[in-house]
Amino acid sequence: MRQSRSDGYPEFAAARAGHLYRSACLLTGGDTHLAEDLVQETLGRVYLRWGRVSRADNPAGYAQTVLTRTFLAHQRRHSSRRERATDVLPEVPDPGTAGDAPLRLTLVDALGRLSAKDRAVVVLRYWEDRSIEETAAVMNTSSAAVRTRCVRALARLRTLLGGALSEYATP
Amino acid sequence: MPVEEHDPFEDQFASALRQAGGTFESHRLDLAARGETRGRKIRRRRAAIAGGVTGVALVGLGGALVLPGIQTDGGRRHSVAGSPSAPPTPAASPTRPSAMSADDVVRTLERLLPKGKFSGEEGRGTGEQLPPYARVVYDDGKGKAAVAVMVDRVRPGGSQALETTACPDKVFVPYDACTSGRLADGSTLMILQGYEYPDRRVDTKLWSAELVTPKGQHISVQEWNAPAEKGAPVSRSRPPLSPDQLKMLAGAAAWRSVADAIPADPRVPTAEPSRSQGVPGGSVSATLATLLPKGAEVVKKGVADPGFGYVVIDDGKGASMVQVNVQADMSGLANQLFGSGSRTLPDGTRVATHQGPGDKGGRGVVMWTVDTMRPDGRRVVISAFNSGTQHTPATREAPALTPKQMETIATSERWFSRD
Repeated sequence: MRQSRSDGYPEFAAARAGHLYRSACLLTGGDTHLAEDLVQETLGRVYLRWGRVSRADNPAGYAQTVLTRTFLAHQRRHSSRRERATDVLPEVPDPGTAGDAPLRLTLVDALGRLSAKDRAVVVLRYWEDRSIEETAAVMNTSSAAVRTRCVRALARLRTLLGGALSEYATP
Repeated sequence: MPVEEHDPFEDQFASALRQAGGTFESHRLDLAARGETRGRKIRRRRAAIAGGVTGVALVGLGGALVLPGIQTDGGRRHSVAGSPSAPPTPAASPTRPSAMSADDVVRTLERLLPKGKFSGEEGRGTGEQLPPYARVVYDDGKGKAAVAVMVDRVRPGGSQALETTACPDKVFVPYDACTSGRLADGSTLMILQGYEYPDRRVDTKLWSAELVTPKGQHISVQEWNAPAEKGAPVSRSRPPLSPDQLKMLAGAAAWRSVADAIPADPRVPTAEPSRSQGVPGGSVSATLATLLPKGAEVVKKGVADPGFGYVVIDDGKGASMVQVNVQADMSGLANQLFGSGSRTLPDGTRVATHQGPGDKGGRGVVMWTVDTMRPDGRRVVISAFNSGTQHTPATREAPALTPKQMETIATSERWFSRD
């Protein structure tokens, strides 16, 4: 049993912050500033509930759930920006290592053109490797809805990406 | 790989996503620390508002996911990159005052404080994602003291506006004095003379004023009798401003201009948070009182607050607080809340029981929790303590209810009988 609210929290946060940030970057379609804010908010909420979270079976999964919901709540408040206008390129302020930049730009641009919920489904399914059922639970929706959304998002991505992936990705 | 029907594109995409995602590295090495700072701030703000919200945060592992905080915190970002087609709320007041920088906000505070020396200034302007604030170390000649003002907007007449200026329940926040009332201009004001640490492990005093105007401008002033809110020794017997001075400072017109300069107010059109949807209205505390086993005398009962309630009972062996949190549709967290060791009742209700130390600092306090979720996601969580509050020492060996009794209460149909 934990003796105090923050027992083990710093270690958890340090270990998870990087992964949460990368998830957030994908969720936000490459808005790294917003991603940092979302991670900060997520870790803040995990900290608040750490006594309980630390006893849960999967604190990392809990944090990811909080991140996804924080992101979706943020998007709901900014519904006018739910979809990026297709003629506007996303800002990707941190190009990262040169070798990966083209892939990231291509992919993140495509992600940015999906709706927020579609992006959340795609990130949970293919970045977090969550099952359909787990994804549905995180998003408070049904498995059928997730399946539909996933198929639709992949179809959209296929159109957006064309053959771009085969250049970079090795299946 | 979550692939059900093999699709080469799906494989390629998953692989590319992992490659692309893996290349993002934050330049901020202190994200973890900033998260903790953020958590402390949320907690402090919650402690300063009514016990109801605090209580939800205490009981609900996932409950706060639908609390007002999540809809208000970080709500003002309007700089999502490359979206010229979506300017921030064009319908907002065209007469909005121009933006204020962090320096402007700090200078406003220094101008409004009585004469003294200032140091350690920090602040945030009105164009940021988080609300503007100013914090200074102020010395009136009798010792350095931290003073902070935060300006925000809340939905006029909404539950957050009411909770913000209602004196908290002493069961959750110990304090020496609290007054709450309405000013001549219709604003509501609470002055709270309390402590930085609810368990008083350090005697840092925290006095605060919370003012909400009829237009929803929210001004929060805090002052300490130490040069920092935490981690600095007490420098004087009391914070520098008297309750009357706090009232004057919070009521200054300059803060309302700061509130008006906040660019977008996404909360104004927002309906009340979904916390209460599907959750019985009225007093959860009263319902809890009716479900207690015979022989448990209720010595204190929480006020009406949808979704959250508590009673302090005494069976003759000492005070014992029992709190309950009733939430709609928490099915998204079912797997995290009900892992190994949980049970499923014949009707499909899942039950998890936890016993451990309390987490609010009361010496020897233990907290027993029975967490239940109906198949449709409705959740009732009950926690019982071996003390009349969480932050005062234990008054008895064990809580006054057994886990079995708590489960009986949690699974009662009465929680949702008004749906």
